[in-house]
Parts: sequence; structure tokens; C-alpha cells
Amino acid sequence: MSTSVQPASAGAGGGGGPSGLADVIDTILDKGLVIDAYVRVSLVGIEILTIDARVVVASVDTYLRFAEAANRLDMTKSEKGLPDVIADAKGVPSQDKAKDMIQGVVEEAGDSLGELTGKQRDPAAEAAESETEVEVDRAHQGPPKRKFRPKREEG
Amino acid sequence: MGRPTKVSGASAPDQAAAQSQTLGSYVYGIVRANAKLPSGQRGLGDPAGEVRLIQQGEIAALVSDVRLDEPLGRPDDFYAHERLLDALAAKGPVLPFRFGAVLASADAVEEELLGPHHDDFLGALNEVEGHAEYVVKGRYDEGTVLTEILAESPEAQALREAIRGKPEDATRNERIRLGEIINASIEAKREMDTNLLADALTGLFTQAVIRDPSHEQDAVHLALLSRTDEQERLEQALREFGQRWEGRVTLRLLGPMAPYDFVVAQA
Repeated sequence: MSTSVQPASAGAGGGGGPSGLADVIDTILDKGLVIDAYVRVSLVGIEILTIDARVVVASVDTYLRFAEAANRLDMTKSEKGLPDVIADAKGVPSQDKAKDMIQGVVEEAGDSLGELTGKQRDPAAEAAESETEVEVDRAHQGPPKRKFRPKREEG
Repeated sequence: MGRPTKVSGASAPDQAAAQSQTLGSYVYGIVRANAKLPSGQRGLGDPAGEVRLIQQGEIAALVSDVRLDEPLGRPDDFYAHERLLDALAAKGPVLPFRFGAVLASADAVEEELLGPHHDDFLGALNEVEGHAEYVVKGRYDEGTVLTEILAESPEAQALREAIRGKPEDATRNERIRLGEIINASIEAKREMDTNLLADALTGLFTQAVIRDPSHEQDAVHLALLSRTDEQERLEQALREFGQRWEGRVTLRLLGPMAPYDFVVAQA
């Protein structure tokens, strides 16, 4: 419907952007260069966050939710009043619910993050590791051309 | 080691050395040695360290001090990491690091990171010069996509009729089957629409990576490495697609960002 260009971290400070944090997490947690063997600073709650931010594995719950959405979808327009029909056709209520769900997940993860931060005061200076390996994947070797990489299998 | 090295920025290295028990150097990414830092930019952590460059030869690491006894990973930490990198990416080439890279000290950054990999980093910086990452996200409108699927699948139609007006418990199997069909149909549509959009954007990106969907109703999740001077054309092309998909897919374009998806560490 609408296309807007915004920095991925838009809405961060103002607390406005509905999926701001999710977008950021999506981007910086499993992408970018990695150095092996650096000082271990405890990264609290990130595992949880990473998993939760990628709730896309279809489950029975997903199926049941889809089925219910289809059930509610009024294609005949015979049983409901007009406002309901319009709302359904636009998918407004269910979409909001989905949005809430996602946000809920992230916020929840944020909460547990806070908790963990309080508890896990790992004296994390677990020895400065000595060797550092950096691997740079020249993502665009060769002549510029359209190339799709296969999805990475992980997590 | 052999290269001339200096630490720029206001914080005194000697002081940092005295606190080396508790402070480490958080590395955001690699930039050219002459990159300009956005003024007043604070790093992540609490208290937020001052962002500075550790230069060596033609490259520099973008770092700030972090306390080693404080865990990282609050939302503000994520924002700080990405904001800083994206701000630099808008002005010049950046090699972003994954969140959470910390070395023991500024010396370690020079000796273990910059020194041994100077030429690799420089080569990679040259390659991303003039480019930035843009992410296209599309989300299906639930009502529209369900209507499409029901119209296309007689089985889904029949199942929908079968569960209509009946309690959830009594129609559980039918519901699961219906949901399965819907899910599979969305996956197929996602693949088709993603390819359709990528085709339409041909010429506007140097490289593309199809990202995993981050939501079950995702229509498109595409990371593009594009020339920053093509951004307007990219926006225009997406605007046209947005109109074409009006009411069906909501499109968002994020960027310019550091090329997170295009400097992937090899396993």
C-alpha cells in the first residue's frame, strides 16, 4: 500500500516504530562480520531474543490461527453487518492481532532480558583470548550481476 | 605492528590501560582511516563509551570502550550499534561487525584485528565503496491473501465450509488441514512475489540476498546491495510496485544501511 524509506532504526528513540526493534535485531544479530575468539562479554538474553524474533516456523498454532482467520473471513457478506464485512475484508482485526503478537514476543524477550541483566552478572572478563580470526566473505566477487544466495540454514 | 598507528579521539589511552581489567574495546566495524565520525555519537553499553577510530594504515576500526563486567544486549545497545554503522554507511564504505564483538584492549584491536587483516579489509572496503544495503520488506494483507487462497483452492473452500459455525474442538483436524494449506500457499506466493519483485528491480542492485521470512505473512524479505546514487530510482520502482500491490502487500524499504548481509563470515 505505502512505501516509505526509513532508516532501519527509525522510531527507536521516539518509541514509535512498531517493528523497529525487531528490524534491528533481525539485522545485527546474525549478520555482519564475525571475529572468533574475542573477549567474552556476556550477551544476555540474546539467544532468547534471536529465537523469538524469528518465530516463523509453522506450527499447529499457526495453522489454527490461519484457519480461524479464514473462518472469520466473510466472503458471502450474508451473515454480518456491513462494518464487520469491511473490517474482515481488510483483515484489519486479525492483522492487528498478528502485529500485537509479534510485538508481544519482542517485548517479552525484552523483559526477560531485563531480568537476566539483573541476575547474570557474569564476571565476564573470561580471559582475553589471544588469536583473532576474521573472515571476510567477498559477497560480491566477480562482475556485478544478479545473484541470489541460497538461504542460510541455521537456527 | 609495523604500521604507524595512532588512536584518535578524546579518551586517553593511558587511562584505558589502567582500567584494562574492566574495560574492553567494542568493535562496530571497519572503515577507511579518514572516515569522519558523526559528532556527539555515543557508543553502546552503560555508561555509553565514546566512539573513536583506531587507525592503522588505510583502515580504521570503529570502537568504543565497554565494561566487561556488564552484559550487553539491551534494546538501546542494539540501536546504538546499528545507528552508528548506518550513519557511517550513508557517507562511505563500512564493513559492519555482528553485534557483540569485543576485544581485550585497543592494542588487541591493532595487533589482532587490523594488522593481520589490513589488506583484506581494505579490499572489501573498496568493493563496497559507493554502495549501501537496502532491505525490502513486504507483508501480506491477511484478508486479501486469504481470499486469494480460498478462491484458488477448492479443498480450502470445502474445509472452510466444513468448519463454519462449528466449535473449534469438533473441527480441529479440518482446521489444521485448512491452516496447513493456507501456510503452504503463502509460502508459494512469497517465493513467486519475491522473484517477481527482484526481477522488476533488476539493474537497481549489485547483489541480492533473500532473507528468511521474519513473519508468517511475509510477502518479501529482500536485502539489496545497491549504489547509493541509485536510491531514488530504487524508491521509485518500489513505489510503483506498492501501487500495483495496493491492498494486498504493504511494502517497506529500509536503508541506507551498512552492508550487513553482504559481508558474511564464512563458517
